Parts: sequence; C-alpha cells; structure tokens
Amino acid sequence: MFVARYARKRSRLLPALFVVLAGCAPIPQTVSELPVSAPAIELDDTPFYPQERYQCGPAALTTVLAKSGAEVSLEDIVDKVYLPGRQGSLQVELLAAARTEGRLPYVIDGTLEAIWKELAAGRPVLVLQNLGVSAIPRWHYAVVVGIDAERGEIVLRSGTDQRRVTPIRTYLQTWRRGGYWGMVVVAPGELPAAVDRSRYFEAIAALEQTGRTEEAAVAWQTALQQWPGDTVALFGLANAYLAQAEYAAAETAYRDLLEHDGKLNAARNNLALALAEQGEFDAAIEEIGVAISANSDPALEKELRSTEAMIRRRKASGER
Amino acid sequence: MGLQKARGALLRLVSVSIVCMGFAQAAPAGMIGTAYLLDDESRAASLSRIEVLLARDDVARQLQAFGVERGMVLERLNGLSHAELLKLEGQLDSQVAGGDIIALIGAVFVVLLILELVGVTDIFKSF
Repeated sequence: MFVARYARKRSRLLPALFVVLAGCAPIPQTVSELPVSAPAIELDDTPFYPQERYQCGPAALTTVLAKSGAEVSLEDIVDKVYLPGRQGSLQVELLAAARTEGRLPYVIDGTLEAIWKELAAGRPVLVLQNLGVSAIPRWHYAVVVGIDAERGEIVLRSGTDQRRVTPIRTYLQTWRRGGYWGMVVVAPGELPAAVDRSRYFEAIAALEQTGRTEEAAVAWQTALQQWPGDTVALFGLANAYLAQAEYAAAETAYRDLLEHDGKLNAARNNLALALAEQGEFDAAIEEIGVAISANSDPALEKELRSTEAMIRRRKASGER
Repeated sequence: MGLQKARGALLRLVSVSIVCMGFAQAAPAGMIGTAYLLDDESRAASLSRIEVLLARDDVARQLQAFGVERGMVLERLNGLSHAELLKLEGQLDSQVAGGDIIALIGAVFVVLLILELVGVTDIFKSF
C-alpha cells in the first residue's frame, strides 16, 4: 500500500504560482498547470536504487516496478534494458521490460497534472529528462515521487540522490527537452489515473503479445468495468481465455461478442480455433467458412484461409 | 523400433515442457490478436481525419482544379494500409505541429501530399 503524504493545503496561493509559471515562455500552460485544489503529495515509501553512472534507466524502472509490488532486482533489470554500447537504455526497452515483469507500462500525458494524478493514485512516475541542452543532450531517467505546487518543487529519486528537490520551473525545462515523456507501471487490475482508452488498450494488447495472458485477462476485465460491453475489451478477454487454453470459456466469450456484432470476422476465426481445440471440427469449419465469405479485408483473408486449412488438416489427422 | 518410438515421444514431451516452462504463454497458432481490432479502430480514425480534410471547401476546390475526383481519392485512401495512412498523417502533422494545417501550408500542398501517397502523382520522391 502506498502512503501519500498530503501536506497542508494552501490552495489560495496556487493561482499566484501559475502567474509565475506562465511567465516562463517556452512551457505551455497546459503542461505546467496543476489544478488549484491539488495538494502537495510525496510517496515516501517509494524505494530507492542508487545507480552507477549511466544506469539511470534500469534504476528508475526498478524503482517504479518495485513500488507497484513486482518482485524485481536491479541486476535483472540492468540485464534487460541496459545497453553498454550506448551507455543507456531506450524508452521502448523500458516499456518492454516492464511487460516481462507482468506490469502494464502506460505512457502518461506530458503534463504536471498527469504526474500529480498518478502520484495521488500511489504511482511514482518515471520521466525522461534532458539535463544538457538540445545540441549537447544529456539524457537522464528519474522517478518523480512528489510534487508541491505551492512551494514550486518537485521531488525525484534521481541518480545517487534519494530525494532530489528541484524547482518545478527547472524540472519543466529538462522535461521539455525530454519530450515530456513519462510512464507509470500499472498492475493488472488497476487503471491509470487519467486513462486514455486507446493508449491503455494498446498497452494491454502489447502485454498479450508478450505472452502475459494471465495479466492481460485481468487487465481486460478491469477495462470492462470502465467501458462495459466494449468490443475490443471483450475480444481481448476472449483471446486471453483462448491463449490460456480455456477453450470453453473462450467459445462462450466469442459467441457473446458475435451476437452483438456478427461482422467481427477476427472473432469468428478465433471461435473456430476454440471449437477445433475442443474437437468440434465440423462446427469450426462452418464458422471459419462464414467468416471467409463475409470478410472483405485482404489482410485478414490470408489468416482466415490458413486457419481453415489448419482445421481441415487437424480434422483429417484426428479421424484417421 | 519400440525403443526409438518411446525416445521420440520422450523428446517431444521434454521439448513441450521446455516451451511451457516460462511464465509467458504462446497464443495458439492462427489466433488473431486483439491488436487487430485496435489497428482497425485507429485506421478508421486516421481515415476520417483525412476525409474531413478533403471535405473542406478550399481543398475540394483545389482537387477540382487538378481535375481529380474526390470520390476517387477516397477510394484510394480506403485501399491504403494503416501504416501508409499513418505515414500520410505523419507527413501532414510534421508540416504543422498544431495550428490550422490548411492556413499554414495551403490547400495545394495538402492536396499534393494526399495525391502523391494515393498514387495519383509522383512528385515527392522522399515519400
């Protein structure tokens, strides 16, 4: 459980802060503004992994993963994301490594408000900073664990500093040069604080592709609580059942989905697979036939045809 | 013979166990992943953004001036893959980065970019 430390509310002073912030020309207000009511937060119990030189990526990722309850060691994560030749880690590698730990990496909107909302939900935010200038960049990953808008301060786990307090204005400059990039790791069963449906769904689909189907199933179920009856989420959940070899559950889920939208040929393809896995080859062949005759997507056509051929082969070898 | 058969079966069993040892579970062959529907969605969104652009008066006039029918362009847009649509959108976005695209680069350029990608013209070699 997280412990959010809510400092004294002095919200009446906040508007004055925004005037100051708005004075820093290159930073758009949409990025720098926090809601007036936002109290200071600091996630004191966020672990700290002092890093060796250049290994800020693994250290930052391990920090957010450990805070989310994942059992990780810095050494493992270093192996997964550190590129000695480049003396650093790429953002995509951080995302991929989070998935291998069964977490959903979610790229947040590049605003202070988005950071604040995640902190309020108990999630520290991994951010990319450029501590140099654009011409001579010095890329750095750090973890935001606290914001105090009134004092104009941001608190980071950064490098060898367990609690680096940086003026928000300075932070925003370094973050701007880092493309306002920030991510949180979300445990399956949780939603990001300010969730964008497409981005969240892409994150779950990526988890599914990594083969973390158990976590994907939980995440789709969570998504369905937020977006009841959502076609993509229902399809995702059915796929998770199929990938977990829960064929009867998968069959039911695909049938429900097709009842709502009979034109989902991708779902019909997977229904046919679920049927074939249960030995119901004739029903499977019938379904895939329906999908093939209804389909108009050339990319899908190939998949459907190969599914049909595969089921026919299996039927033939099963009957022999 | 019997021994060989048994060895084969054992080998298969071992290889299956090795495959199943990790936490990750492979989706069954032939399964169409959830990303397919997501791609479909975002493709439709890209398409409708470009269609909105084409429906603008100034763009429509420009198309007419080039003697190109809007319906034909739409049809070709429909034939583009998602990756190609994203590329087109990326090209348009990189020209503006916020602001009104038409005001900034003009209807002619937008029309040319779109025509280029749908294969009506061949002006921008870097495309």
